[in-house]
Amino acid sequence: MLEIQDLSFRYSHRSPLVLDHIDLQLRDGEIGILLGKNGSGKTTLFKNILGIQKPLSGSVRFDGEDLLNMNRRERARRIAYVPQSIHFGALSVFDTILMGRISYFGYKAGREDETAVEAILRDMKLENFAARNVEELSGGERQKIAIARALVQEPRLLIFDEPTGNLDIANEQLILEEAHRVSREKGIAILTSLHDLNQALTLGDRFFFMKDGQIRHTGGRESVTESVIQETFDAEVRIVEIEGNKIILNGGQKT
Amino acid sequence: MTITECFAALVKKGSPAQVRIIWNIRIPRVLAAIIAGAGLSISGLIMQTDLNNPMASPSTLGVSNAAVFGANLSIIAFAGGFLDTGNHLSSYTVGANPYATSLMAFLFSTVSILLILGLCRLRAFQPGVVVLAGIAIGSVWTAATTILQFYATDVGLSAAVIWTFGDLGRATYRTDCIMAAVVLIGLLFFLFMSWQFNALLSGDAAAKSIGVAVDRLRFTSMLLASVITAVCVSFLGIIGFVGIICPHVTKKLLGQDHRVSVSASALSGSILLLLADTLSRSLGNGSALPVGAITSLLGAPFFLAIIFNRKGEHS
Repeated sequence: MLEIQDLSFRYSHRSPLVLDHIDLQLRDGEIGILLGKNGSGKTTLFKNILGIQKPLSGSVRFDGEDLLNMNRRERARRIAYVPQSIHFGALSVFDTILMGRISYFGYKAGREDETAVEAILRDMKLENFAARNVEELSGGERQKIAIARALVQEPRLLIFDEPTGNLDIANEQLILEEAHRVSREKGIAILTSLHDLNQALTLGDRFFFMKDGQIRHTGGRESVTESVIQETFDAEVRIVEIEGNKIILNGGQKT
Repeated sequence: MTITECFAALVKKGSPAQVRIIWNIRIPRVLAAIIAGAGLSISGLIMQTDLNNPMASPSTLGVSNAAVFGANLSIIAFAGGFLDTGNHLSSYTVGANPYATSLMAFLFSTVSILLILGLCRLRAFQPGVVVLAGIAIGSVWTAATTILQFYATDVGLSAAVIWTFGDLGRATYRTDCIMAAVVLIGLLFFLFMSWQFNALLSGDAAAKSIGVAVDRLRFTSMLLASVITAVCVSFLGIIGFVGIICPHVTKKLLGQDHRVSVSASALSGSILLLLADTLSRSLGNGSALPVGAITSLLGAPFFLAIIFNRKGEHS
C-alpha cells in the first residue's frame, strides 16, 4: 500500500509550493488516477515519489517502508516509472527491456535477468519484436516496450505519466487494456495521470483531483461529479449516464 | 628505410641506427597514436552520452583551452621544457625539465576540470549547464592565452603556437606508459558501467527510476574522460576531431549500445590517429605535418559520407 503524508515540494526557497501538503493512499492492485490541469503538480508528485526530486517535507511509504530514504536500487525494485515522453537509445527491444533489470544485476546481466525479459516478452506478446531496433518502432509499440521495461523491474507500484498522451485511439486502447490487465492479474498498484476524463472513468478505481499543488478531492467513481470536475479544471462539463456508465461531456455538448 | 629494413630493425637485426630509429622513435610514436586515439575517442563518446549532446567532445570542460594556456605560460613566461625558445640561457645551464610544459598544461587542465565540475555540482550536473560552463571557462583560458601571446617574443610565440599543433613525435616510452595507464583505467570503467550509460540514453528521469545513480555516474565519468584528455593533450598537444568523429562513426555503424561502442570507439580512434600520423609523416616531405589537421582532413569526409548515407535511408 502506498501512503503519502503531508508531502510538500518547491523548486527553490523563493518559489511557491508546487506540491502543497499532499495526502494520498493507494491499495495493492488499485488503479489511482491523478486528474488536474497542466501544471497542477501531477508530474512533480510522481518525481517526488520516485526520488527523482527531493520533497521539502512529508513522507512516502510503501508497505510501511520509507521510500524517500531508500537506496535507489531497492526503490527501483518496488516502483517502476513510465515517463510521459519516451526515447531510448538505438538498442534492440530485448536489451532495452533488459535494462530494466539494472537494479538487480548492476553491471552485467545474468541468465535469470534474461529469463525475466523472455517471460515479459511472452506475456505481452512481444516475442517477434525482440531483435528489432527500438528506434524503428511506432509510438504505441515503444510505449509497450516502456511498460515491458517497467514490468521487468517486478515492481509493486507502477507510475504512468500520461500514458496515452501522443497515441492514436487504437494504441490508446491497447495501452489502457495493458494497464488494466497488469493491475488485475499481477496485483500491481498503478498511479497514473490522464487527460481524457472518460478514459479515466473507465480505468480508475480511485480518483485524486489536483489543483494548485493540492489534492482537493479524493474518492471512487461516485466522487467524479460535475461540480468537482468544474472546480478542478475551471471548465463546464455535464455528466450523463448511458447503460449505467457515466459519460462526461463538454459543457456545450448535447446528448 | 625499406619495409625489409624496418622488420629487420624490429627484431634488432638492422644497423644500430635503424634499430634506434624503430625502437626509440617510431615505436613510442605508434604506441602514442594507438593510446591517445583510443583515449580521445572514448572520452568523446562518454561526453556525448553524459551530456546528451552530439556536439560534446573530450574538451567540452575547457580541457584543451586550459592546457594551451598552461603550455603557453610555460613556454612564453617561464621558458621551460623542450620547446625552450633559448631566450633564457640559464634554463639550459641548469637543465630544463622536459616535462615542464606538459606538467603546466596538465595542471591547468585539471584546474579547469575541477572548476567546472565544482560549479556544475551546484546544479546537479544538468547537461545544458555543463556545456555552457565549459564554453564560458574555455573562453576565459583562450582570452588569457591571447593576452600572454601578446607579450611574447617572436620566437616564444612561434614555439607556443607550434606546441598547440599536436605532435606524436613528442611521445616517449615514459609518456606512453602514463597515457596508457590513464586510458586503461577509463576504458575499463566505461566498459564496466556500459549498462548504466545505456540507461542514460533514456533520459535522466527514466534512468534514475530504474536504479541508476545518474549524478554520480555523470560526475565520475566526466572527470575520467577529462583527465584522459588532459593527459593526452598535455603530452602531445591538441589533436582535434578524433573525439567527435570516431564515436559518431561507431554509433552510426554499430548502434549506441555502450557494451559495443566503447571498445569500438577506442579501436576506431586508434586507427584514425595511426593513419593520420602515418600520412602526416609521409606528406610532410621530411617533417611531419600537424597530425590534428590530418585527423580532420581524413575523418571529416568519411563522417559526412556516413551521415548523409544514413539520412538517405530514412527519407
